[in-house]
Amino acid sequence: MVAAPLALLVALTAAMLWEGGAPVSPVRHLFLVPGVWAALTAGAQAGAFVGVMAGFLQAPLVLPAIERVGLTGGALDGLVSLVTPAILGAVAGHVRDQAFAGARRLDALLEIQRRLAADAPLASRLDAVVDVVRDCLGARAVGLVVGSPEGAPAVASAPRGAALAPGSAAAWCLASGQGMRSRDLAGDPRVALADDSSPAPVRAMALPLDAGGGSRGVLAVEWRGEVPEATARAGTEMALHLALGVENARLTLRQRRFAAELEEKVAAATQRLRDIDRAKSEFISVVSHELRTPITALEGFSELLLSRPVSPKHARRFLGHIHAESRRLGRIVTELLDLSRIEVGVAPVLRRERVDLAAHVERQVELFAGVHGGHRFHWQADSALPPLDADPDALDRILQNLLSNAVKYSPRGGEVHVRARPGPGGFVELAVEDQGVGIAAEALPRVFDKYVRIANPETASVRGLGLGLSLVRALAEAHGGRIEVSSQPGKGSCFRLLLPAREGISPDIPAI
Amino acid sequence: MDLLTAPFEATRRHAAPPVWRPFVAVSAAMLAVVGAGRFLVERGGALANLGVALEGAGVHGGFIAQGLVIALAGQGAWVGSALRIAAVLMAGFLLGRLAPWGALLLAAAPLVLLHEGRRHPRLSRIGALTPVRPASLAIGLAVGAFLGAHLLITASLTFGYGVSVVGVGVYAAAVAYDVGANALSAEWLFRGALFSHWWRHWGFWGAAATSTGLSLVRYLLDPALPHTAEARAGAIFYLAALGVATSVLRAWSGSLLPGYCASVAFFAAYRTLVVW
Repeated sequence: MVAAPLALLVALTAAMLWEGGAPVSPVRHLFLVPGVWAALTAGAQAGAFVGVMAGFLQAPLVLPAIERVGLTGGALDGLVSLVTPAILGAVAGHVRDQAFAGARRLDALLEIQRRLAADAPLASRLDAVVDVVRDCLGARAVGLVVGSPEGAPAVASAPRGAALAPGSAAAWCLASGQGMRSRDLAGDPRVALADDSSPAPVRAMALPLDAGGGSRGVLAVEWRGEVPEATARAGTEMALHLALGVENARLTLRQRRFAAELEEKVAAATQRLRDIDRAKSEFISVVSHELRTPITALEGFSELLLSRPVSPKHARRFLGHIHAESRRLGRIVTELLDLSRIEVGVAPVLRRERVDLAAHVERQVELFAGVHGGHRFHWQADSALPPLDADPDALDRILQNLLSNAVKYSPRGGEVHVRARPGPGGFVELAVEDQGVGIAAEALPRVFDKYVRIANPETASVRGLGLGLSLVRALAEAHGGRIEVSSQPGKGSCFRLLLPAREGISPDIPAI
Repeated sequence: MDLLTAPFEATRRHAAPPVWRPFVAVSAAMLAVVGAGRFLVERGGALANLGVALEGAGVHGGFIAQGLVIALAGQGAWVGSALRIAAVLMAGFLLGRLAPWGALLLAAAPLVLLHEGRRHPRLSRIGALTPVRPASLAIGLAVGAFLGAHLLITASLTFGYGVSVVGVGVYAAAVAYDVGANALSAEWLFRGALFSHWWRHWGFWGAAATSTGLSLVRYLLDPALPHTAEARAGAIFYLAALGVATSVLRAWSGSLLPGYCASVAFFAAYRTLVVW
């Protein structure tokens, strides 16, 4: 790289000699050119070297003149000409080196950011980064540790293959969050080297990767021989940028994970909305059908009564049908009204009073047993059952829904067990257990949702709006209780209603 | 990579090796031997040759012994190595007094030092055992030859000094002195021990300037240097240039050999200079 400037120097010396070797020859100014040339093409060291050589080559021409005529102005000019090329070469080279180093450092920093953000495994990203750092800093070796000392930190090194030893300087730096510098590893008492016979000093530094949020790792760099201060500063800058890059990569990873989770949740919510939409459509169809049936009966029987003379016996029978269907229509409308209240987030209005649960349940069970003779009902109540502070009508509707479901989804001849006993934490537990078709495990979380009727070919003919259990849950929660379900497909289901006992009855009843 | 693998203890402090005691002992012995030699020379007679040999072996053997003490941190069997190299130097100087070609024995000193270096692996820290490429040696020789040639041209053009080889035997003896004593002891102590030590602590320029300054002092105190002002100015300039150049060669190559070659080449040229 300096051969051409040196050749020019020799040519200039020859030209100066040919011209007569005068120390103040105009050619002497051209001696600046090779030094600047070398400086701009190869840096400060080359510039200074060629400049020194220019001084050496001029010296045999300048010094004899000084010896002959003494230190005159011309001789002084000649002396200045001896040192100027070296100074200019060094300065120009230094400026050039600084500019090149700045540009190279900037390139390296951008490259580091790019490599860190690449969509590649962490190990290969770190390998790429240590190569960039090593090239930019002109280091003998570079190590990069990312992670915490508690976990298994990722380690990359150039040259490849170095692992992180627990008691090493990098491990200490990672654990303490402090940096470490050494002017010579071989002479550093803190470091126990296996081989300290290096003929040149090994400058080293281990810096924590800390962008302000705590140490995320360590950058370790080793140089052989001289390290310009600017290079050491560049290492520090790179540690900071690496910290930012690692932090960014961590945040990006977290963001990607969050986005994936969000996507999953949105998909689930969308699916749920679709299910609800479909359930609503089915609900409207069912409601229409449920309303149409009693209305048709009402129309038919009232038309019969109006259109022709009917005997009192038949008239009474028809009026009985009309009354039953009216009641049924009323129940449906009540349920729809309750539903609309739940829809808008209004809790059902309760008229609380002291309720003897055992008596209440017993009456409902007897009523159901009377109507549904095909099923066998078993009722069992604990003798220490405390009274409830509840709305008796709401309690009736809860029981009717649970018992009705138990009957509807059990085969004829099936048994329905109803048990009441003190529950945990001051609650009273009422369990309704059937031997019906049961509910699949994946459908269990949805049985209390509105409009939901679990698809099952065995129960396709069962009529219902899909509102009963959601109403039960709303009423239980309005009482400060809850409803739970366990089921085994083909064996039956068990609904457990937990309601708080009347306050003051039991000291350990929590306020709900 | 040492930072990732070598054991590290943040609070461990350096236990300073007792370098100064052996260094002072060597310096005292060196002065004693040189003083004894001077005494014998001034007394004259048959033992004058022994006095000259004692002076030469005392100075250069002392420098090499000081370098050994520093390089080995005052530990190890440096005494035996120092005595062996001093014995070779003594023999070389003595034979050189008896016959011009006898001084060629001094040329064996680098080989003895190389042999001693192999016995102490720690000496590789000063570049004594570093493998070196032939190109590095050639560059070292070229640097020394350039400085030597420049000295001859400048001195002859400026002061009219002559350039000649008075006799082959005398010239060979002078070059053997440089090979086995002058350049060897200077490079061993100033570039090998001192520059290498300070380079690790102060950086290149601090180490190069200090070690070169000390070597300049050594040459300016040398009674063999011509006493004219221009000779002393020239010595300062060229020995400073040589010192910086050999420091650069030491740092660049990791070895003492290129700088040693440069010194030998420079002094080989210098031996042809005839100061009127």
